[in-house]
Amino acid sequence: MALNALEQQALVEINPSQAKPFRLTDYLRLVRAASVVLFVVLWEYFGRQVNPLFLSYPSAIVKACVQLLIAGEFQRQAIGSLGIYAVGLGAALVLGILLGLLMGRYRLAEYLLDPYVYALDATPRVALIPLLLLWFGLGAPAKIAVVFLSGIFPVLMNTFSGVRTVSGGLVDVGRAYGAGEGKIFTKIIMPAALPFIMAGVRLGVGRALIGIITAEMFTAVTGMGALLIRYSSAMATDKFFVPVIFLALLGVILSGAVEALQRRLAPWKETERAL
Amino acid sequence: MPGSLDERLVRELSFPRERPWSLYDHPNLIRVASVLCFLTAWEIYGRRTDPLLLTYPTAVFWAAVQLIRSGELFRQLLVSLASLSVGFGASLLLGVGLGLAAGRSRLAEALLDPHINALYATPQVALTPLLMMWFGLGFSVKVVIVFLFAFFPILINTASGVKNVSGSMVEVGRAYMASEQQLLLKVVFPAALPFIMAGVRLAVGRALVGMIVAELFTAITGLGAMLTLYGNLFETAKMFVVIIVLGLLGVGLIQATQALERRMARWKETERAVS
Repeated sequence: MALNALEQQALVEINPSQAKPFRLTDYLRLVRAASVVLFVVLWEYFGRQVNPLFLSYPSAIVKACVQLLIAGEFQRQAIGSLGIYAVGLGAALVLGILLGLLMGRYRLAEYLLDPYVYALDATPRVALIPLLLLWFGLGAPAKIAVVFLSGIFPVLMNTFSGVRTVSGGLVDVGRAYGAGEGKIFTKIIMPAALPFIMAGVRLGVGRALIGIITAEMFTAVTGMGALLIRYSSAMATDKFFVPVIFLALLGVILSGAVEALQRRLAPWKETERAL
Repeated sequence: MPGSLDERLVRELSFPRERPWSLYDHPNLIRVASVLCFLTAWEIYGRRTDPLLLTYPTAVFWAAVQLIRSGELFRQLLVSLASLSVGFGASLLLGVGLGLAAGRSRLAEALLDPHINALYATPQVALTPLLMMWFGLGFSVKVVIVFLFAFFPILINTASGVKNVSGSMVEVGRAYMASEQQLLLKVVFPAALPFIMAGVRLAVGRALVGMIVAELFTAITGLGAMLTLYGNLFETAKMFVVIIVLGLLGVGLIQATQALERRMARWKETERAVS
């Protein structure tokens, strides 16, 4: 579009600057990166001046990480922790979903079980750890029990409320077309409650991770939690940060995986209940 | 007119006046029966088992009487509540403050969020050994742990609540010459309040967990320390008393927050699960 002479003259006289003025908020990624870099540099600088018994610094942590990975100790403990975590969480998911379905579908089951479910759900599960250790010893069974108890309630409660919100109309239509109780469960209730169940699974995965760390810290024999206690008692702060970082990454990966699963399995609805 | 056709019909067909008695109309009956059965079975079975491992309801009751009489339970409860309230108060102030800043200014958000996300992803229990190294075993370490557990849900919910405030409300405020401070106090904060309260509700539960974890590991004062102590002494009945008190505390705190939430933010019920 050609400008006429008058417009061109006006443009020259007003002389709008070609570039936008510099604004920091246009470079948020840069700010974010700078913030992280600044933090790491400050930590490295001040960390080197503090007694290494109390605070480590990034380069020492990297060195400790390499050292532990080469020694193989870290991997062994990590695999042990993950195995226990998987067993306990698996049991929590299966039983949580089953009981949730039962309680949501049958009022007798609901009234029989809900006093215990509410009571146990309200009790902070960490408080049960000393008792569970007393009962199951310091080995794997106690830790599995802790993981199980930490993970089951969000799954159970969310499944329960998911089943309760399934519209009665859907179930009636199924029944009118001659679906048996099994079909009603698998073809109507499960799919309709799935978004709730997945939200519960996401919460449960995180809780179970906290459960296993706490249990292992308390028993202090094997696993990631035991490493945390061992390195902190030995005042090896550089090594201490290695399991911490591992656990943080694990938490991020697990919740990312559940979220991806949630999107795949239950993309039609995003509901959740915060517990 | 006595004995109209309708009345005679009803009498002759003898429709029942009331619904037939059904167990499902008396859920509390089922609940009470379920709990009584459980307690009786526990009492019978518990008396036969080694009292070092399993206790029974009457023993728990007498242990409770003993702990209350000696005043120990209340003393430790007060100690626990002190660290809980100081730590939670600090996380409330800082969480809401930083959340407002991060939600309002994109620059503050970019500066803060890498660190917040990293710390939030780390299971906070994993940091407790380090914190104990830094802050010792006393009151201050408990406050710091409670703070860390409760801080993130408040911060994250406040920030997302502030970001959720409709832009036109802020613009109207600005058009009427509201200062930034007035905007924050009169427009942004009230609009974000439902989110903030949802964060507070999550944070209360986590603060309680933080308190117990801190006391379990420091094992000097508070309810968590009682758990560790009686666990080591194999006094299961007393452990149950403490667990029940912690459960009641959990229920009470959550109920109180929910009541507060309904009072302060009743115009909108939104929440974001972040646990």
